Amino acid sequence: MTAKEKTAEMTDPEIAVELSGVDKWFSILQVLHDVNLTVRRGEKVVVCGPSGSGKSTMIRCINYLERHQKGRIIVNGTELTDNKKIIDRIRQDVGMVFQNFNLYPHLTVLENCTLAPRWVKGVGRKDAEAVARAYLERVRIPDKADFYPNQLSGGQQQRAAIARSLCMNPKIMLFDEPTSALDPELVREVLDTMAQLASDGMTMVCVTHEMGFARQVADRVVFMDAGRIVETAPPEEFFSNPRESRTKAFLNQILH
Amino acid sequence: MDFAYILEALPDLMTGLKTTLIVSFLAIFLSCLIGLLGAVLRTSGVKPLQYAVTAYVEFIRGTPYLVQIFFIFYGLPSLGMRFSIFWSGVIALTAWASAFQIENFRAGLAAVGRGMYDASASLGLKRWQHSVFVILPLATRAALPSAMNTIVATVKNSAYLQAIGLVELTFVAVDRIAYDFRAIEMFASICVIYLLCVFTISGLGYVVERRLSRPFGGR
Repeated sequence: MTAKEKTAEMTDPEIAVELSGVDKWFSILQVLHDVNLTVRRGEKVVVCGPSGSGKSTMIRCINYLERHQKGRIIVNGTELTDNKKIIDRIRQDVGMVFQNFNLYPHLTVLENCTLAPRWVKGVGRKDAEAVARAYLERVRIPDKADFYPNQLSGGQQQRAAIARSLCMNPKIMLFDEPTSALDPELVREVLDTMAQLASDGMTMVCVTHEMGFARQVADRVVFMDAGRIVETAPPEEFFSNPRESRTKAFLNQILH
Repeated sequence: MDFAYILEALPDLMTGLKTTLIVSFLAIFLSCLIGLLGAVLRTSGVKPLQYAVTAYVEFIRGTPYLVQIFFIFYGLPSLGMRFSIFWSGVIALTAWASAFQIENFRAGLAAVGRGMYDASASLGLKRWQHSVFVILPLATRAALPSAMNTIVATVKNSAYLQAIGLVELTFVAVDRIAYDFRAIEMFASICVIYLLCVFTISGLGYVVERRLSRPFGGR
C-alpha cells in the first residue's frame, strides 16, 4: 500500500479540512502553536480573536498561502505538501475572500471572474462568462459586470470578489475578515451574501469580528489567542457561557 | 536670423534627424526590454543576479554618459569588440537608458502589492499566468510616467553620439556651422526639431497613460 492510498483510506470523506498539531513561525516568532481543528463538510466555522492571535495566518495555511512548519493539514483528503501539483489542485477547490478584496484593478468585474476559470480550468470564454454572470446575479450585482473594481462601492467589490471565487466552483470557502475594510453601512450586504452561501450548504471558514453573523450562521465558533485555539463551541454556548477567562475578556471588549 | 539658410540646410538636417530617430527608436525598444528583464532579475530573489543588475545600474548612474560612449567606441575594440559607429551609438544609448528603465520598472513591480499574488494563488493561477495577466499590466501602468521621462531623455541623449562621429541631427548642425558659421540658425533649428520630437513622444505617452488609467478612475 502506498502512502497516498493509506492517507486516502484514513481520511473521512465527511471531513473537509483537518489541521493537526500545526506550528508556524515567522522567522523566530512562533505564530501558531499546536493548532488542531477539524471542519466537516458543509460546516460553517467562525474564527475570532484579538488582532495578532494567528486567525488570518491559520486560514491562510489552509490553501497554502502560508506554509506551516510542523503538523499536518489535510484538505479534501489530501495532505498539503510542497508538491506544486497538489497545491494547485487544492487551491482550485478552496476559494478565498480577502479583507481588501484583492480584485484585479485593470480588469472588469466580468474579466476578474473569468480569468481563472479560463486559464486554470480551460473553460471556454462564453461558458466562463455565462457562469460568471450567473454568480454576479447571485451576489446581486449583475449590472456591474462591465465595470472596473474602482467604480464599485466597497460592498459591491467584496461581493464581486465572492463571485470571482465561486466561479471556480470551490468546495470550501475561506473568508479573511471580509467586512473589516468596509464602511459600516456596507457590511450588511456582504454578510447577507455570505449567509446565503452558507444556507446553500457551502463549507466555510470565516475569520470575522461580526458576532451577529457568528450567532446567525456559524455551527461552531473558534476563539484564538496568542497563536493557540483557546476555545471551540457552538455559538449559543460560546456567547452565553464561555469557559475560558480569555474568551470572556475578549467578548466583554467586543460586545460593547 | 536667416530663414532662407535654414530652408537650404533642411534636407541635411532631415537626414540627420532620420539617424537620430532610428538610433533612438532602437535604444528605446531595447532599453524597455532590458529594463523589464533587469527589474524582474533584480526582484527575483536570486542573489548573484540581483547583485549583477544592481552593479550595472550603479555603474551607469555613477559614470558620465560621455565616458560610457567613449568606453564603448574607443575602449572595447582593444578588448577585441569592434562595432561600427552606428552600432556603438545604439549600444551606448541602450546601455545608458536601460539602467534607468530597470529602476523605473522595478518601482512598477514594487507597486503591485502582495494582495494580487494572494488573489491569483488562491484562484489557482500559475506563476507565469499571474506574471503575464496581472503583474505585467499593473507594473507597466505604475512605471509608465517615469519610463516616459527616460524615453524622452533617450531621444535627447542621442545628441551626445555626435562625439563619436555618428551623423545624427546635432552632428549635422555642428558640421554645417564649421563651414558656414551660422550657429544661431543651426542651433535654433535643431532645438525646434528636438522639441517637436519630444512633444510628440510625451503626447503619445499622455494618451497611453490616460487610456491605461481609465479603470482606476483616473483623469
